[in-house]
Amino acid sequence: MSSVVEAEKLQKTFALGFFRKKVHAVHDVSFTVEPNEIFGFLGPNGAGKTTTLKMLMGLIFPSQGQARIFGRPIRERAVKQRLGFLPENPYFYDYLSGAELLGLMGHLFGLPAAERKRRARALLERVGLGRAGDLALRKYSKGMLQRLGIAQALVNDPELVVLDEPMSGLDPIGRKEVRDLIVELKREGKTVLFSTHILSDVELICDRVAIVVGGRMRDVGPLKALLSPRLLHTEVVIDKEGVQTAQRLPPDADVDAALREALAGGGKVVSVAPRRESLEDLFVREVDAADVGGGAERVKVKS
Amino acid sequence: MSRVWALALNTFREAVRNKVLYVLLLFAVVLLGLTYFFSQGALHEQLRVIRDVGLVGIELVGALIAIFIGVNLVYKELDRKTVFALIPKPIHRWEFVLGKYVGMLLTLAVLMAIMSLTLFAVLALGAAVFSGDNDMSTIVRAILLIYGEVAVITAVAVLFSSFSSPILSGALTLGIFVVGHFTPELRELVAKVESTPLRVVLRGGMRVFPDLHLFYVSGSMVGGQHVSVHGTYVDWSYVAVAGAYGTLYAAVAIALAMIIFARRDFV
Repeated sequence: MSSVVEAEKLQKTFALGFFRKKVHAVHDVSFTVEPNEIFGFLGPNGAGKTTTLKMLMGLIFPSQGQARIFGRPIRERAVKQRLGFLPENPYFYDYLSGAELLGLMGHLFGLPAAERKRRARALLERVGLGRAGDLALRKYSKGMLQRLGIAQALVNDPELVVLDEPMSGLDPIGRKEVRDLIVELKREGKTVLFSTHILSDVELICDRVAIVVGGRMRDVGPLKALLSPRLLHTEVVIDKEGVQTAQRLPPDADVDAALREALAGGGKVVSVAPRRESLEDLFVREVDAADVGGGAERVKVKS
Repeated sequence: MSRVWALALNTFREAVRNKVLYVLLLFAVVLLGLTYFFSQGALHEQLRVIRDVGLVGIELVGALIAIFIGVNLVYKELDRKTVFALIPKPIHRWEFVLGKYVGMLLTLAVLMAIMSLTLFAVLALGAAVFSGDNDMSTIVRAILLIYGEVAVITAVAVLFSSFSSPILSGALTLGIFVVGHFTPELRELVAKVESTPLRVVLRGGMRVFPDLHLFYVSGSMVGGQHVSVHGTYVDWSYVAVAGAYGTLYAAVAIALAMIIFARRDFV
């Protein structure tokens, strides 16, 4: 089966200001998203994640490169009919109610009036806004707007769901609910592509991950394949006469010997934890490499 | 066309939920009501005064609304980023611009209908109190022409709104509104320019500006005939020709807005 999303050497350069200074927001980003997978687009703020997603959604024209969705050019109406999109920090018409906004979106997808109403009600319930459907959007909190944004991305029951920072503005319960919803969408046979700068969101649910830093793709693949299996160190916590001490043993240390010594000295072993590279380690490594290489355009603030 | 209609209805909904619009409409209705009292001092011409002042009021309020809402129609979508959720939906970018414009036309039609009914009511009261001819078909023709004028002004406002800020768009549209009303005088001035190349350039430049005088002509010569929206001179064929001109001008302005909008990056 062909890929749902194919991005090939996408580039975007903006010309800003009176002197049209060139800013390279995205360089040579290439990746694919396979059917029925949850693909995480991970990167720090300003990495080019939103610019890349906007190029896929037809909001921004790529300076170079191309992209296809469902094997078709991205701007075709038939493609847009099958996808749903949540923009970052979504803005909607504040004079509409939640139900009216979903009705408008449904109308744009060509749904008949009765079906629009039915889906609006169902989606509002699904995202936890069942009681706020008739409230004007100007009265919605940030979290409520985020949930409504997810609802409007699902109004056409899309095959591909693209979410730009879907957990933004949500409390921990809300974040968990969105993660559960994404997993549910995968169970329904959908493909989900979402961007985030929160590592735990990616670790918990993604099948594959792309790390973007400074507008460049640093790594892409299944999380296990990206992380080095190499042992970094082993953390050992020993309790001796009620005092707990933690030791960090280098990767080539004889852990058994260290434990025997601790036990012989009258101590008790509290925990032994081999530490391998985490997503955070990989992320920091990639960001640092981008800074050293001069490819990143973000400014590192030193405390 | 269902998608254009969805966007048009949404634009209409935004307008009717805008409190500023109600203030302007109330102002217009009060002004129209006051024309009855303005007419008191006009001997034997009371109905004419009500009609003339009433039509000026409808034109000015209609133009004001067309400019101040029109210059924000597209700009607001970009500034408030509501366009980010709409463009990825299965709509063409030109449908978005057309939907906003059609919604605005719908809004203006309703507003002008309310103002017109108010004027009809005041005229009916005037006809009952003062003696005089109250020819309703003259008023209807005049109002249709005013609607054509505000439709053209709205199209110009939407065009500017597609690439510049509301303040600049408002100033430019207002400028065009003023220039458009003085096209006969400007044509006379241009005709007196001695240098032929300059005269040709200026004449060509004048074509860019809409001939709004066509929609509010009063007692002057157009095409060798005396015409007036205030009297009985403007017949239905004149309304049709002016309407066709307005439709063509508005279509060109909206088409340009669509072209500009089609190539924009929504950052």
